[in-house]
Amino acid sequence: MKKNILELKDLYHSYNKDLDVLKSLNLNIVENEIVSILGRSGCGKTTLLRIICGLEAPTKGTVYIDEKPVHTHLEFVPTEKRNVGLVVQERALFPHLSVIKNVTFGLKGSSKDNYEEAMNLLRLFKVDHYSNNYPHEISSGEQQRVALARAMAPNPHIILMDEPFGALDRDLKVDLREEAKKIFKKKNMTAIVVSHDFEDALAMADRVAIIENGSIVQIGEPNKVLSNPVNDSIRKLLR
Amino acid sequence: MSYKNFFDPWIILPTILFALFVVPVIWIISSLFGEYSENWIHIYNYTLSNYIINTIFIVVGTSIGTLIIGVGSAWLVTTYTFFGKRFLEWALLLPFAVPPYILAYTFTGLFDSYGTANNLIRDIFSLPHEFIFFPKLRNVYGAAIVFSFTLYPYVYLVSRMAFINQSRSILEVGRTLGFNKFQIFYKLGIPSVRPAIIAGLMLVLMETISDFGAVEHFSVNTFTTGIFSAWFGLYDFHTAKQLAALLLMVVITFLILEKYSRRKNRYSSGSNVFSPIVAEKLTGSRNFFASLFCFTPVFIGFILPNIQLTYWALNYKLEFFNEKFISTAWNTFYLAIIAAIICGVLAIIINFSIRYKKNKILNVLSSFLTVGYAVPGLILALGVSQLLVFMDNLLFREYLDFVLTGSLIGLILAFVIKSFALANTTIESGFLRINSRVDDVARSLDTSGWKLLTQIHLPLLTTSFLTSMILVVSEVIKELPASLILRPFNFDTLAVSTYIYAAEERMFDAAAPSIAIVAVGLLPIIILSRLIRNSRPGTRIK
Repeated sequence: MKKNILELKDLYHSYNKDLDVLKSLNLNIVENEIVSILGRSGCGKTTLLRIICGLEAPTKGTVYIDEKPVHTHLEFVPTEKRNVGLVVQERALFPHLSVIKNVTFGLKGSSKDNYEEAMNLLRLFKVDHYSNNYPHEISSGEQQRVALARAMAPNPHIILMDEPFGALDRDLKVDLREEAKKIFKKKNMTAIVVSHDFEDALAMADRVAIIENGSIVQIGEPNKVLSNPVNDSIRKLLR
Repeated sequence: MSYKNFFDPWIILPTILFALFVVPVIWIISSLFGEYSENWIHIYNYTLSNYIINTIFIVVGTSIGTLIIGVGSAWLVTTYTFFGKRFLEWALLLPFAVPPYILAYTFTGLFDSYGTANNLIRDIFSLPHEFIFFPKLRNVYGAAIVFSFTLYPYVYLVSRMAFINQSRSILEVGRTLGFNKFQIFYKLGIPSVRPAIIAGLMLVLMETISDFGAVEHFSVNTFTTGIFSAWFGLYDFHTAKQLAALLLMVVITFLILEKYSRRKNRYSSGSNVFSPIVAEKLTGSRNFFASLFCFTPVFIGFILPNIQLTYWALNYKLEFFNEKFISTAWNTFYLAIIAAIICGVLAIIINFSIRYKKNKILNVLSSFLTVGYAVPGLILALGVSQLLVFMDNLLFREYLDFVLTGSLIGLILAFVIKSFALANTTIESGFLRINSRVDDVARSLDTSGWKLLTQIHLPLLTTSFLTSMILVVSEVIKELPASLILRPFNFDTLAVSTYIYAAEERMFDAAAPSIAIVAVGLLPIIILSRLIRNSRPGTRIK
């Protein structure tokens, strides 16, 4: 039986008393699995990702990462201690560091080993020849490849991606999401991809979870979700 | 976040700083609730009305002067093209480099009965010695003129920013309604940027009523000279504090009005569709008068005093860099650099704490800390003196007598409180330029707290830190009353040295430190003029 890497139990979150952004949300993700969270803008996808990451605390509920509690009513493990990788639409590369230094930033241990590890990842993402360039000297697609390599470098329990291909043009994102999926599988990574674009979500995922009004209303393999949407709203979302 | 630790150093440190900044001001205000001495009754019965009338007169005169010069020149350089415009649009900021007290010193040198200007007129027209062409300026009129020509850049700066951000379509609608150029200016131009103008004017008024050097040189009795006389003439510290408390109330009123105006200050048309103003080319007499109108304040507020200062410096046997000047300049620079570093570091810590902890209380504390810039230097000196005496009594009295009082610590503390807002504004905008997702990603890479600050934020804040240092250094170098009162025995700064020489009518000696103050004051102007130019898509010439 595969190990649970992420377990969310009965999560609630609200920014004001009258409106719950997340309502009784439950989700399990096992090792080496890629799950896409799909939903319309404002449905709570990004909030969910921030809660998993530890950048926000839910109003209620529990979060387990690698079978250890990181958020319960008694315990809160901060972001920096959760060992999660984060990739965001804006890339958020550190502008004062070169590509190689961005990737080695989160690594501990000897600098020679870190360099080798980072170069291997950059090679996988085909940006190793830019290792000494600064982020502003490379294209947005290349920057996103570096951001993915940086998130993978510390070998996190899970990689969290918030609209990772949102700012890229169509051809570029098709190539990158296929490559990213291959690399994740090759490296046995577990990942969550949050997106409002169903093509991005379906192309990357082993399973797709659809959020509506703060709860997961359908979850399953991409083909099954695509062929059997449980309601009209999801049918429209997947059109 | 619901997980807050109130013993967190990122929260405790800003709170301690807040207490340190606020205590001197609270001490001053609390004096109003204490006993009133005989000196106070004497001042109340005989001189307070004089202080109030003079202060009001200067405030009204300066308001009119700065509004005409500041708004008029900002409108002309934004909406028209005329001879010398490219030079004048930044040159109009130059008088920022000249503190009012230096313009006052040079004005008396120029326009006194036997000053340079009157001598020149008599020589040119072969007039008798008793003939006086320029009237005396050592009065409230002279003070209002001096403040108008040195402080109008506050109004010019905010008005110009507002006019630049104003949409062309507003003015074009005016033309279709049949308005002439002047009607467009006062019926459409001014009303649409009125909150900005009021905000600028409030800054002018705060500076005007806080001034000590210029009014003292002109022998005009105002609140600040009254505070000084009560303290050092009557040796009545308590009455000085009570007068200062009254003045502080007025300053706080202006400050509230300034904040309120700024909040209402919605630049441009409020629409996302922005079309920049197309500057119209002026020809003939209009071209000449527009140039003259904009050149006059630059000439009177910057060129003329510098000519006079250079004349004095050259006549002082060219001993510009004598030993006294070098030691005074060194004192000033190292004090200014220390204050600038402290301000910059504090601003970084506070802004990082706010960003990192997302704590609303810290946000409120931070906005209180920036209020220090509005507190007149003289009042700050009073508050800091009392704080240091209290600390000495508490910590050292039994063993060492006075340790902190009369030391450089008081001076540095006053400079830091006064200039913190300048550093904070620059550092705050530096932090805003760093995408918050960078922090999120860094935290996911096991980088938080001190490591996040030093490895990610600090390298990205280098330019902001240096800019804040330049702004604070130029402010500290100009500061007169706090330096005069809080300096250790036999320790002179450039401003104090200028004041002492001018008070003794040794204007030749005052020239060198004055020129140094003006030269350093030019640095932030270069930064400011760049910021304005890059503030919006540029204007086009028709």
